[in-house]
Amino acid sequence: MMVSASRGAIISRILAAIFGCYAFVWGVVALGVAALHGAGVEYHAAEQAMMMLAFLLYLGLFLWTFAAASVRRVWLVLAVGSAVMLAAAWQLQRMIIG
Amino acid sequence: MLNSFRQSMAWVHTWFGLVLGFVLMVAFFFGALSVFDREIDRWAIPETRFEPQPMPSYDNLLKQVFADLKPHPLDMAATAERVIGDLPAPETMPMVGLFAYTTHRDPVLRIGAEFAIPNKPIDPKDDHLHVHGWATIDPRTGAALPDDQLKIGSNWFYPMHYSLQVHWKNIGVFVVGLAALVMLVALVTGVIMHRKLFKEFFTFRPKKRTQRSTLDLHNMTGVVALPFHFFFAFTGLVIFASFYYFPVSGTLLKPLHDRHEVIEAEHTGLPHDEAGVPAELASVDAMVAEAKRIWAERDMAGEVGLLMIEHLGDANGYVSIYRAGSDRVALVGEGIHFKASTGEVLREEPPSDPVGAVNEFLTGLHLQHFEHWTLRWLYVAGGLLGCICIATGFVFFVEKRKQEHAKRRLQGCRLVDAMAVTTVTGMVLAAVAMLVANRLLPDAMPGRGDWEKWTFWGVWLLSLLHALWRSAPVAQARSNPAWREQCWALALACVAAVLLNWLTTGDHLLKTMLLEPYWAVAGVDLSLLACALVSVFTARRLARTVEVKQASRIGGVAYE
Repeated sequence: MMVSASRGAIISRILAAIFGCYAFVWGVVALGVAALHGAGVEYHAAEQAMMMLAFLLYLGLFLWTFAAASVRRVWLVLAVGSAVMLAAAWQLQRMIIG
Repeated sequence: MLNSFRQSMAWVHTWFGLVLGFVLMVAFFFGALSVFDREIDRWAIPETRFEPQPMPSYDNLLKQVFADLKPHPLDMAATAERVIGDLPAPETMPMVGLFAYTTHRDPVLRIGAEFAIPNKPIDPKDDHLHVHGWATIDPRTGAALPDDQLKIGSNWFYPMHYSLQVHWKNIGVFVVGLAALVMLVALVTGVIMHRKLFKEFFTFRPKKRTQRSTLDLHNMTGVVALPFHFFFAFTGLVIFASFYYFPVSGTLLKPLHDRHEVIEAEHTGLPHDEAGVPAELASVDAMVAEAKRIWAERDMAGEVGLLMIEHLGDANGYVSIYRAGSDRVALVGEGIHFKASTGEVLREEPPSDPVGAVNEFLTGLHLQHFEHWTLRWLYVAGGLLGCICIATGFVFFVEKRKQEHAKRRLQGCRLVDAMAVTTVTGMVLAAVAMLVANRLLPDAMPGRGDWEKWTFWGVWLLSLLHALWRSAPVAQARSNPAWREQCWALALACVAAVLLNWLTTGDHLLKTMLLEPYWAVAGVDLSLLACALVSVFTARRLARTVEVKQASRIGGVAYE
């Protein structure tokens, strides 16, 4: 095997690819739906558009997780990104509902 | 992660492909069978071997059928766990909503209803508090089919395709979802690994040694059907996305979603809530006639696919009538809604916005409610090509490593090979054994459907045990005789199923093809015989496969 990564690093990447990316895409979907709807797009159209985008994004992120040089940076982007987007979606919703 | 981008992608392809490949195999194979789920139902429930029927009259037939429909004991038990206090007696629960659903391939009609209960939920957020009742009826007479009869095609193979029949916490749906994502990943990484995409379209060298020809076949099936595989994995994910994978509207954005629902209800004129005032139901048949007239006016004359009534018996009640989508790809219902008490049109659904139209087209192309038999068979071919692609992936994995594993006394290949036997021949064997059991078990047997399910799982488990038991040669870099043996078992089971169908129902192929053509049953029988032929051919071919002693690397491809 030409594996030059440690077992721990590989497990970390696998978890990041499956769960980290999932959380990140969740954030994108939630923020996207809230933002599009806030901008006047019909709710279900916004939802459907984000659902179609979600898996292409997930696919890209999944591959990036294994291609990226630093697994630490992968985790940082995924964790901070998903937390920020989920919070932003929540805040945006509160603003829209008023 | 590894030395180079291509090596990293090859690693992802190999290991995710291997682990989720077992799930993908199930999804692809049972997906291919689901294309003909209704036809398999007809084979398995001989009483329903008659022509597909249109939606029957509501006023003359369905009204009485629904009056007799009661809450289902299964849902009574499930709901009892979600509410405070005891549920009232099922006979006393008022029916507040109903549906009837059919397609151009269904002789039988599925119906269901919601019954109101006074209980409060244990979880205050649990806002869908109804008990459900359901049945399958003969639309010519209104007679209910026995509840015990398992629709093997549409209620076993089809849910297996997307849920693995593991329903606890929807784990199965999520595992299949991950597998679908990995399918997308495997397609992209596969292309990155190879680069010689065009050449692989035409390369298959069956006479070369197993490892080489397996890889050829893996690449060829992967490349030839690449758009098909990508499309189905992708749309499968999209279909379940908003409900299972990213349920934003039911969780984080629930307030926003619910607010939209109320606004939409005002906008569409369809009442969101009950009025609390009882009201009679006007003639539904007249509403159906009006809906058909409106469709014909739009140049979309068609039959009713789905009929629904909301707030049944209430002044706010409305009847929704949707077209059966057999003449187009997109899943468009062209829904028309009527006020239940008067029959006046409340709303005609406008054409979808562009996003909705794209979504309807994608899901429609996956779920294929259209009537086009050639396309249907192409779907089966695509699904089976996917199975070949995955199975050859397993075989290649083993062939590539087994010499080295034998030298180093490792058992990895042996286990992977046994798992491959179980998910390739074992899975098909389990499905066919279920059909054999379906013809052998007595009609009046209580819990007949459950016994069919246990046969399915039992045979699958046996195939795993058999594959493990016979796996020792793999650890010495030879091949597992279980492949060949299960091929023979499969051939026998296929022929047995066809013969048993003839013996128990009198429907032999001469009759179903020529004398009184009934292609649903003939098609299943012919497919079983084709499967038997392929199994015999494979078993004989495996018997004379020459073991290649010398292992050598395949040039040009990074596969670690």
